[in-house]
Amino acid sequence: MSEPAAIRAEVDTMLALVRERYGSRLSAEELDGIRTAIEGIVQAAHALRAVRLGNSDEPGQPFAAYRAIP
Amino acid sequence: MRPEDVVFAPVRRLGELIRERRLSPVALAEIFLDRLERLGGRYNAVVTVTRARALEQARRAEREITAGRYRGPLHGIPYGAKDLLATSGGIPTTWGAAPFKDRVFDFDATAIRRLEEAGAVLCAKLAMVELAGGMGYRQPNAAFTGPGVNPWSLDAWSGGSSSGSGSAVAAGLVPFAIGSETWGSILSPAGNCGVAGLRPTYGRVSRHGAMALCWTLDKLGPLALTADDCGLVLEAIAGRDPADPTTVDRPFRHEPDGPAGRRFRFGVLRGVTDGCEDAVRESFERSLGVLRQIGTIEEVTLPDLPYDDITRTILFAEAASAFEDLIESGAIRGLTAPEDRYTAYARDAILAKDYVKALRLRGVMAREVDRVLAPLDALVAPGRATEAAPLGGEVRSAIRGTARDVMGAVGNGAGLPAVVVPNGFGPRRLPTSLQFMGRAWEEHTVLAAACAYQSRTDWHGRHPDVS
Repeated sequence: MSEPAAIRAEVDTMLALVRERYGSRLSAEELDGIRTAIEGIVQAAHALRAVRLGNSDEPGQPFAAYRAIP
Repeated sequence: MRPEDVVFAPVRRLGELIRERRLSPVALAEIFLDRLERLGGRYNAVVTVTRARALEQARRAEREITAGRYRGPLHGIPYGAKDLLATSGGIPTTWGAAPFKDRVFDFDATAIRRLEEAGAVLCAKLAMVELAGGMGYRQPNAAFTGPGVNPWSLDAWSGGSSSGSGSAVAAGLVPFAIGSETWGSILSPAGNCGVAGLRPTYGRVSRHGAMALCWTLDKLGPLALTADDCGLVLEAIAGRDPADPTTVDRPFRHEPDGPAGRRFRFGVLRGVTDGCEDAVRESFERSLGVLRQIGTIEEVTLPDLPYDDITRTILFAEAASAFEDLIESGAIRGLTAPEDRYTAYARDAILAKDYVKALRLRGVMAREVDRVLAPLDALVAPGRATEAAPLGGEVRSAIRGTARDVMGAVGNGAGLPAVVVPNGFGPRRLPTSLQFMGRAWEEHTVLAAACAYQSRTDWHGRHPDVS
């Protein structure tokens, strides 16, 4: 599947998810706006996925173990 | 002392007058309270004027100073706080959003408490874009207080999301204000309104009591007439806070002058003015001429990474979680901007794997930008790519992907400090701006550079006609 087609398919799938969850409260115009927003999200995700990282590349904000101060 | 003598005086000057007992904190508070009440509505800058609390704090300051107990340069200085900082005493904290317009907390945010300890006088809770812009607004009319109006032109936006913080300082309604930035929300209103704004390093200022939009991106910082004033305010609010585990115990000392004859080393990202309006580019080129008087300038590059996508994905995912109740319940229907009532539903499309990938790429981004910044004192760039948007127009936004903002994406994504100062005017007579961005914990360096720039220019001494 070419990249635009892959993005379009992913957008369609995600929009279906949103419609399933919230469709009863959304107008057709609002769903169009959500589709545009999802397109941006999916395009960003594809840009992130295109960058290869190594196994040791951790999140920039590591979790810290917690212990209350007595 | 006449109002016209103090309204556009920098905090440092007001502090000197108060310390020398030539200016009464009570009289000063009365001047700014009057302006907030009389002019705040013109700019949609104010949510609540905190007159009773201000006068109580001002009287206390006056008593202490008269008794010889001077706390420092903010003692007796009025200020306003973005209305996402919790305040006690029955003062509402609305987050700029109609569903919260009557909500009251029973405690003060750490930043509010620290300013009180420094003797500052809280005069107003200032207007902001609803939920700090986290729901995807596309135009200025996105707050229950109305669109933020720019004091330089009533047809232009003051910027977001710390709209009132920018316009109130620019219009002389408060000498300084506290804003917040997740991506652009201090630098944008400061740049649009022609004032100075400082985005501190992530973890420099406690966010305890501040609305959470995005836990790993949110920062609090000052807006004021000068970069020097921003440094004075940061000294008061910086520091470790057990209530905010992201804060660190690193000392901050404002050194506006630095060593005599200090030379700076500035970097400019290749292509950083691509997409800027001509007037913004011209102001920037003129600024580079000034900066060459105080240092060197070299072109630098960053590796090709999807910087905007990294920071945007983090912001959208965390904001969707921070406001999950509001979104899932449908209460976002009560927001002002029509697009804010539904756009956030799209964020269900962000996969956990992609969010974590963005966090991992943030680590790479932080290392790469630190490598570029290590030999430099600051990266310099236009503060904004355009003059302020028209009130009735659509706002270009890197957050939504309708503009590019590598400096903002990298600076916020990596949690780096930046200060913006005015550097000219565009064809609509609206301010343009210059930003200095430094390594983590180098606020004193970027402030020193901005102060050096402002000592050689007079853009910060020009004010809108507010009468």
